[in-house]
Amino acid sequence: MQIQNNNISVNQLMRQVIYALALGVAIQVYFFGFSVLVQIVLAIVTAIIIEALILRMRGMDVAESISDGSAIVTAILLAISIPSIAPWWIIVLGVAFAIVFGKQIFGGLGNNPFNPAMLGYAFLLISFPLQMTLWPNEFQGVLSIFKTSGVDVLTGATNIDFAKTQLMMGFNLADITFANNKQMWINIGFLLGGIYLLIRRIIFWHIPLSLISGMIFISAILYLIDPNIFASPFFHLFNGATMLAAFFIATDPISASTTNIGRLIYGFSIGVIIIIIRVFGGYPDAVAFAVLFANMAVPLIDYYTQPKVFGK
Amino acid sequence: MFKQSFKGGLFLDNPFPVKKIDLINIPLPDKVVLSMQQRIGEQAIPCVKVGDKVLTGQVVATIDDNRCAPVHSSISGIVVAIENKKMADKSKLEALAITIESDGEDEWIDNSDCCTENYNICTPDIIYNKIRMSGIVGMGGAGFPTHTKVRIAEGCDVLIVNATECEPGIMCDDALIQAYPTKVILGTEALLYICGAKKAIIAIEEDKPDAIDLLKKFCKNDAITIQPIPTKYTSGAEKILVKSLLGIEIPSGKYASDVGVLCHNVGTLVAIFDAVLENRPLISRAVTVTGDAIKEPQNFQVRLGASYDYVFNFVDIEPGEKNIMMAGTMMGIDLDGTDYYVNKNTNCIVVNKAKAKPVIKECIRCGLCNNVCPIGLLPQQLYWYSKSANIEKALEYNLPDCIECGCCSYICPSNIPLVDYYQFAKGLNKKQQSEQIKNKKARDRFEFRQLRLERNKKERAIMMEAKKKALQEKMAKDNVQKELILAAKKRVEEKKLKRDANTK
Repeated sequence: MQIQNNNISVNQLMRQVIYALALGVAIQVYFFGFSVLVQIVLAIVTAIIIEALILRMRGMDVAESISDGSAIVTAILLAISIPSIAPWWIIVLGVAFAIVFGKQIFGGLGNNPFNPAMLGYAFLLISFPLQMTLWPNEFQGVLSIFKTSGVDVLTGATNIDFAKTQLMMGFNLADITFANNKQMWINIGFLLGGIYLLIRRIIFWHIPLSLISGMIFISAILYLIDPNIFASPFFHLFNGATMLAAFFIATDPISASTTNIGRLIYGFSIGVIIIIIRVFGGYPDAVAFAVLFANMAVPLIDYYTQPKVFGK
Repeated sequence: MFKQSFKGGLFLDNPFPVKKIDLINIPLPDKVVLSMQQRIGEQAIPCVKVGDKVLTGQVVATIDDNRCAPVHSSISGIVVAIENKKMADKSKLEALAITIESDGEDEWIDNSDCCTENYNICTPDIIYNKIRMSGIVGMGGAGFPTHTKVRIAEGCDVLIVNATECEPGIMCDDALIQAYPTKVILGTEALLYICGAKKAIIAIEEDKPDAIDLLKKFCKNDAITIQPIPTKYTSGAEKILVKSLLGIEIPSGKYASDVGVLCHNVGTLVAIFDAVLENRPLISRAVTVTGDAIKEPQNFQVRLGASYDYVFNFVDIEPGEKNIMMAGTMMGIDLDGTDYYVNKNTNCIVVNKAKAKPVIKECIRCGLCNNVCPIGLLPQQLYWYSKSANIEKALEYNLPDCIECGCCSYICPSNIPLVDYYQFAKGLNKKQQSEQIKNKKARDRFEFRQLRLERNKKERAIMMEAKKKALQEKMAKDNVQKELILAAKKRVEEKKLKRDANTK
């Protein structure tokens, strides 16, 4: 029905997302070592094998479906969310879970109600909490991933986790000195990647902006109540997986709301839930659960935010 | 005058740009095939026979139905066949068509009439009839009979002349204005006289500066405004145009006439000029021939019924497999060959090189379609429900409001032919509705029959009751009589016995 091809196809869309992730990933490599890249490669290989296997079982065109790149995006997102020194089987299990139970079981691309990467992350975090919370303190080679005996590298918790344990021990936030600001740089990397996606019109501003506003809104209220117990909005924005969530995870169109007003509600509620879980919950970061929560509400949000129809 | 732009839509350039826009009169075709079926309504009925000699402008088919317009011979010659031919639309159905072979003379029927330039000495009714008899239909592509549209909009306030070119790539309106700017203006004045509107707006896209200049130069009438509008696709859709020019939002399910607006394509205005001021019925139209297989896209003034192949003689077509489309690139209809004929609504023929169809992927719910829909629908939801034939839900998401502009299909990164799904669902809806009506009729008939049987039964029962009563009464009466008779007989017997005894 149309003469020229569209401006952009699904394949191009996914490719652009991968390009946009590059900067953040590079900064992660700088801080944590090449193990980050190994995780990504492991994840991609697993994703392609599992996806191909299932597509074949479903009797679909394997090459055609894999070439859309959506499985690769899922794999990369999961690989950069988990600690870079986690043993190899963690990422393999996580990606396999994400592809099988997050995506293919619902009918493959376009049909999954939940964000597959976040489903995989939640599965890993609940099943292997120890391996999922230990981040390397310094640049690490690739060997740690394949070591069978216990981890013998220097590890530590993320700033959010650290702050939480320190607060529980009775310290004031003002007294806590954070070991590093690696997370901030990584977040800046993903922020820039996200801005690139916005400029290329791969994603729209609604979800990132509302997600960040949601976080600022609730964390500012808490901060104003007691800055000794509650971290500042700035701390929350540049720690944990905030920017990755705002620009790359929550904006996954398949599991997000599709109306413009719906996107604002969706993003804002993710932002609010992230802070609530971070501050009051038991998990080190909250993006996965916040996104999964909001995913569940999407059909409802979409239904109640239909745009006005011409002449009605 | 320009009130507001609309949400959604697409900024599309002409995919096959040309340096200069001309309107070329092409020579008489050897043969024309005139279809009796126009876009909507009944088929016209031929009033000539095979072997008849016809003149240019002679009525060859006519009908009373107001949703149909008469058909005129576009050349002079002999009727050689009246048979079924394929129609250039989605249905792939056939319709009756008259084939006329040209004698090469182009001999016109005598077309002198009472009023031409001084048409205002006639009543609007007379001119209205003239338009009706001239077989004019909407030249923008819809093909709705103009006279009916004028009659429905009687007493309207504003006349909008739509010179926005419905789709990127079509240039015939532009070409027509540049060739006949005065016809457009005078035709508009004539239509203003008939419909009684106080003012007319000629809406024209900003990317046609030459046409705008020409119209401004020739327009001396204060009642007519020439209004440039942004070149954004679907700005030419009637509902959108009325909103952007007048700020009036036509309610869902209503038409421009319901808000006092009459909207006509500029081609229709030229046809009205021809009919009213020159007494020439509709026998030719401007057609754009474009596409990536055409070296130099061109506009032609073509006699109706000329074959596509004949028109293609006047353009350079690159060799190889082709895809032919009728109407523009966004809403056009794919045709299975060139075996078609220029109809009253053929505004554009697109000839593209055949290429592999893009791979259709699953919807990734990106929502680009929501953003471009000029009506504010949710194309994605409509797609789900159309695909699963869930008409009830599709209607809940306002399926009938879709204008099938094709913006969503165009923008879809998964290449899903969304509009095809909506057309399918609309067809299904229509079928279901007609079935519902049929079912309701059948049910009503059945219920009435039941009622009737019940009533008959009751009536019969009452009748039987009455009869029974009558019978009983009769029997009772008979019994009394019988008794009387018996008594009488007995008395006679007794008397007889007495007499006998006495005589003994």
